Amino acid sequence: MRLTRVVCRTFRRLADVDFAPVPGVNIVSGENAQGKTSLLEAVLYAATTKSHRTAQETELATHGGEGFHLRIEAERGGRAVDIEVNWWRGEKRFKINGVPQTRLSDILGRINVVLFVPDDAALVKGAASVRRRFLDMELSQISPPYLTALQQYRQALRQRNELLRAVNPAGDMIDLWDVQLAQYGRLLCEARAAFVEELSSIAGPIYAGIAGGEPMAAAYEPDVKAGDDIAAALLRCRAADLRQRVTTRGPHRDDLEIIIDGQPARSFGSQGQQKTAVLAMKLAEVELVRRRTGEVPVLMLDEVLAELDPHRARRLFESIPPGTQVLATTTRPELPAGVGGPEPALHRIQGGILERA
Amino acid sequence: MLLNAPSVEYLIEAFRRLPGVGKKTAERYALHLLSAPPELAEDFALAVTTARARVRLCSQCRNLAETDPCPVCDDPRRDHGLLCVVEQPVGAMAIEKGGAYRGVYHVLHGVLSPLENVGPEELCMDKLLRRLDGGAIREVIIATNATAEGEATALYLSRVMTAKGVQVTRIAHGVPMGGGLEYADDATLAHALHGRKPL
Repeated sequence: MRLTRVVCRTFRRLADVDFAPVPGVNIVSGENAQGKTSLLEAVLYAATTKSHRTAQETELATHGGEGFHLRIEAERGGRAVDIEVNWWRGEKRFKINGVPQTRLSDILGRINVVLFVPDDAALVKGAASVRRRFLDMELSQISPPYLTALQQYRQALRQRNELLRAVNPAGDMIDLWDVQLAQYGRLLCEARAAFVEELSSIAGPIYAGIAGGEPMAAAYEPDVKAGDDIAAALLRCRAADLRQRVTTRGPHRDDLEIIIDGQPARSFGSQGQQKTAVLAMKLAEVELVRRRTGEVPVLMLDEVLAELDPHRARRLFESIPPGTQVLATTTRPELPAGVGGPEPALHRIQGGILERA
Repeated sequence: MLLNAPSVEYLIEAFRRLPGVGKKTAERYALHLLSAPPELAEDFALAVTTARARVRLCSQCRNLAETDPCPVCDDPRRDHGLLCVVEQPVGAMAIEKGGAYRGVYHVLHGVLSPLENVGPEELCMDKLLRRLDGGAIREVIIATNATAEGEATALYLSRVMTAKGVQVTRIAHGVPMGGGLEYADDATLAHALHGRKPL
């Protein structure tokens, strides 16, 4: 999978960008606040319908304007696919190959991208909700049945929580939602467990490669342990749920632990270890998406060189699977030797204008 | 829009209250009614008021009907031992169009949804359960939608009805007839595979 063209109109700082990335490594350099991150955000938004920076789409239009337009073209398995986005005063329209799309599941996974941003360090040290969002986002992209189960689970959870807020909710009515939470929750847990196991088995060696042999692993930590029944767990915590008026147990409380050299990275890892761990997970994701879909996703790295020493930076680029298209941004005018392979394509962005350097 | 024409504004607002009608569509409908010959608007208004005056809920199945009981409940050739529960009248209409169902219906006019404050009382479940009391109904087919709320409602019904000794079944979800597998969405296909039958 590779992007062949990215068009952005009045998106964030990008007034009018028509960008043609090359198949290999593309480096977009520029000073701060020139639109580097916006370019990656535009690709992510068109591919996943979501921004990593905001849930408020009005922020995406230039200077709070009325609308924006995006178009990304890609080549997938020798065939062209394009996604067009028109956002106008709160209404968004997605078209794939010119055909209007209304279902999220029909848009996700058409153009696969993996994005790394500096804030992703939160994946290691942030709240569990950040890691759950990561799991849900990745699994939704590669597995439509997962997305369906997730949507049903969330809706059943909203309904159960609403019921718990009522005065004296009837136990037999809570039962109805428990059955669905258990049914869809089990699907979520199984998919998450398999995903994390596979992700860890790929990310471990990548991390070791970048960090000079140090071992790293990711472990899925389900709130309801494997082998325990979700329905039974919900029943056991029923009294507590009624007191607290919220569903206290279930896959919506799951977590993901990243372990470096036998210690939880969240509490014991250094900044560099944490950042490298997240990078290893993102690179593992590239491989995982390739295994599931047969297509290597586009890897987007925002400010990845900022906190890495030249050795780690070089090893990072060496560990990117061959054939991966990369869009990387940097504030450095010159790249450290060996970064980006033999011939990275250099682009420069200034004031929202992009040109080949 | 039109300036100083409050009656037009009011008509547009009236259309907008209908499901699935946005601002543009409402404007189109309103302007069409006003620019076409007056008979069109008069017929339209008459059709709405007449239907609204004549149609009520059937006292047995709670479907929309001009007569009480409705033609389905009143038809001796239908199988009154087979009852199909649907969310909305449109569900009964869809099954009727299929032509293969010879039983009778019950329309809930909604599904269990704590978020919208809809419980068994709001759906008049007692009325449905009373229909089972005579012992004439052998089987109840639950045809609520495959949403979280539809499934919860199906489960509720199966629990209270099984307690009354009635056989309760759920309609199957799967691949459309005559359609290629590639046209079914992924979730439906997964469901269809899960619910496969021996040949």
